[in-house]
Amino acid sequence: MTMNDRQYYLDRFGVSEQQLRSLVAEGMKGGGDWCDLFFEDSTYTELLLRDGTVNAAVSNIDFGCGVRVLKGEKTGYAYAETTEYPALLKAAKAAATIGSCPGAAAHKAGAPTPLPPAGEYYRIDEDWRTAKAAAFVPMLELLESRIRKKDSRVFKVISMLNGNVSEVMMYNSLDELTFDTRPLWTLAVTVIFTKDGRTETQSVSRSFRSGAEAVTAEAMEGIADMAVKGVDLLFEASRPKGGQMPVVMAAGASGILLHEAMGHAFEADFNRKGQSIFSGRMGKRVAAKGINIIDDGTIPGNRGSCRYDDEGVPGQKTYMVEDGILRSYLHDRISAAYFGVAPTGNGRRESFRYNPIPRMRCTYMESGNDGSVEDLIAGVKKGIFVDQFSNGQVKIGEGDFTFYVKSGMLIENGRLTMPVKDINIIGNGPEALAGITAVAGDLKIDDSGWTCGKEQSVPVGCGIPSVLIKKLTVGGE
Amino acid sequence: MLTAEEKTIAKECLRMALDAGAQKARVTLSKSVMDLVSTLNGEVDKITGCYDRSITISIFADGRYGSFSTNKLSRTSLRDFIAGAVETVKMLAPDPCRVLPSPERKVKDALTGDELGLRDPAYDGMSAEKRRETALACALGSREGEGWKLISEEGEYSDSQYWAYLVDTEGLEALHNETSFEYWTEATIEDDKGDKYTGNWWEAAPLLKDFHPGECGANALRQAVAQIGPKPLESGKYNMVIDRDVASKVISPIIASLNANSIQQGNSFLGGSLGKQVFPQGMNLMDTPRIPGEAGSRCFDSEGVATSDRPIIENGVVKNYFVNSYMAAKTGLEPTLEDAIRPTLQPWHPWTGNPVGKEEIMRQCGSGILVTEFNGGNSNPATGDFSYGIQGFFFRDGKPVHPVSEVLVTGNFKSLWAGLLAAGDDARRCMVKLVPTLAFKDVDFSG
Repeated sequence: MTMNDRQYYLDRFGVSEQQLRSLVAEGMKGGGDWCDLFFEDSTYTELLLRDGTVNAAVSNIDFGCGVRVLKGEKTGYAYAETTEYPALLKAAKAAATIGSCPGAAAHKAGAPTPLPPAGEYYRIDEDWRTAKAAAFVPMLELLESRIRKKDSRVFKVISMLNGNVSEVMMYNSLDELTFDTRPLWTLAVTVIFTKDGRTETQSVSRSFRSGAEAVTAEAMEGIADMAVKGVDLLFEASRPKGGQMPVVMAAGASGILLHEAMGHAFEADFNRKGQSIFSGRMGKRVAAKGINIIDDGTIPGNRGSCRYDDEGVPGQKTYMVEDGILRSYLHDRISAAYFGVAPTGNGRRESFRYNPIPRMRCTYMESGNDGSVEDLIAGVKKGIFVDQFSNGQVKIGEGDFTFYVKSGMLIENGRLTMPVKDINIIGNGPEALAGITAVAGDLKIDDSGWTCGKEQSVPVGCGIPSVLIKKLTVGGE
Repeated sequence: MLTAEEKTIAKECLRMALDAGAQKARVTLSKSVMDLVSTLNGEVDKITGCYDRSITISIFADGRYGSFSTNKLSRTSLRDFIAGAVETVKMLAPDPCRVLPSPERKVKDALTGDELGLRDPAYDGMSAEKRRETALACALGSREGEGWKLISEEGEYSDSQYWAYLVDTEGLEALHNETSFEYWTEATIEDDKGDKYTGNWWEAAPLLKDFHPGECGANALRQAVAQIGPKPLESGKYNMVIDRDVASKVISPIIASLNANSIQQGNSFLGGSLGKQVFPQGMNLMDTPRIPGEAGSRCFDSEGVATSDRPIIENGVVKNYFVNSYMAAKTGLEPTLEDAIRPTLQPWHPWTGNPVGKEEIMRQCGSGILVTEFNGGNSNPATGDFSYGIQGFFFRDGKPVHPVSEVLVTGNFKSLWAGLLAAGDDARRCMVKLVPTLAFKDVDFSG
């Protein structure tokens, strides 16, 4: 089978092209102006190491098809957990009821627009669905032994390896048939350390779109290094005095700043409804000259990459901010039609149970010309340096975002001094973006298992070079 | 309803597991039907129909364990799936602590699924037209006030029915059935400076007679308008009053840290606390899982263990951990339930007389910060340290003075609760965790 095998996917889901056309016709009978079908067959497997042995497994199969009918920006959605024709016909009839809802339909979704060809951003050499659990048990055991060897304070190691393969097929009322096989795996480790009666934990993860061939002894070694890195500082860390101060954000995981402070506010559904703090600011300066912020679905092997999004639009690299100017929102087909632009390939969904909405893929900032992270730190008299994070959130209208810092350091007179941990940082998106005063030349994409939870859970990536933000509010005592 | 054929399939899965080489198994068949009508600015924006059915099978084979789920429910698919699952389990390390609950702990009074009166026959009378009417009736339409205008109002009405059918190879058979009616709304306004503010509200109930969504839009709008003109807050220590709508934020991490899973891994700041006075006298947290007709009530947990009322924290003393069968075998702790089902924080206040809600608590506190929403943040389960973004109001003489924004609250759960000033008696019925308005003294805020 190849990823371009049209008949393979039709057979996989047990439908003919004629049936696809009939279902779409049924969906549009009620007055809708767009209909699409999303078929999915996903297999998820997980192994868990706990108390020194791999002693639990989890797996899940999810199979079905979602039918979406649009009338302007209005949506009718239904799904079936089977692909038998009568069940799909029932779902199409249910979704079609949106066509009879009153209200204007000024912007018809899905007008044909020139789109880039789909690329190949991931491959599977060893399929997770046929790989045997026995092959991974020694890998997780190796990971634990390597972690314990590197640090004598290790009390417990909990590790989880999961692999997922989703086969999807999409068909729409433009008679476009697209398909994809998406691999995704994640290795997550939590290590609990004890020292002199105190406990500290550190969690790390790595996640990629590839087959099981990527789970190697070398990969375990690299993750073991990450799991014990910086533990000395964790035991020494304390809470800083809270308040507003300059913040240097390290390259890599600090990309959570872009995801929370800007990315969500650039998602076009919020802007279409006038809810985002960035609504109406297209073409205006939102950051200093030289700053470029991108949402990219084309990075090979990245967790957020997609050959096609979940509306059948090819994966793309989208400049949201170019030289400091807001150039593009992130669009699904509905918002693209509303704003009169081509969809950007951001129409994503958690599964066939959900209708697609604009979602980020891998969001990052390009490298700048302001030297190294050391240069940025040297320029701060009193502030904070942060490098590890667990989660974030944003209020779209107000623009207030937060992210939780697992580790960092105080900056005093241009030097890193006291380690800090477990603090939240809060700021306002447009102010923070405009307040980025220096960008180092060290862009790093973070390959942790980031998941975005806007209504539905989808895998995403993020990255950033080291940046200096003039002022954010830091939690403390 | 759950059909006889569906029950038969669940039982057949047990047989398939034994045939494939398992010694024991437990099957949960979950089924739900949900319809949603979403509105945007007073018009229907989205109609969604959901129908889900899946089987989860826990397999115990040769002293090994795994949990597997699928929504492909044809007998052929299930047989292949379960055979593969047993094969996978046999590749794992043995773990003798993986056991089914002992027979005396299993639920015996959940036969019809409606023992707790959580299924409303009125659900059967809901139609597409009624759903649409309900959703539209709750919408505000256009609104404008002095210095602000409503720019977006989203609402969503949904109703659903859910079944969980549990059987195991040692004779357990239990059924849970409930209906739910929910409405959620979010209002976004813009003031005359062009700044945006959002407010949201939510109502839910298992029974239609207890479902009152009519004021949701007005409440959401009131929240949004109240936030106009926030001022920065000077960092320092303040009394903190947490609105009942969000007060579970300071209870959930405590419940999580009382779980034997976390304690056994050394990842809990409440390890070794059983029977000890960790919290103040005024803190009383009960699990009340069997209140008829109330959201969150359950006769059994996911292992099929019967639920019952029990104290979690009594007069500040930790009375119970959450210990499932696996953790009981692993730690030697007495098994209880795998988690809190419907935790209820009891009222406590030094004042007598009338019921005590937010206004009275603020009056008694005098000045401080009223927290109406949390914005992100997290806590460290091993230490109990926390740091959260908040939204709310600075209050003086018991009255809100101005909204605050870009503010953080930071501390440790043990020291936070040591400063408990009051717990109101105004917990909302629609929530699964029933936590009233809370007040604490000398809490660190950064602004």
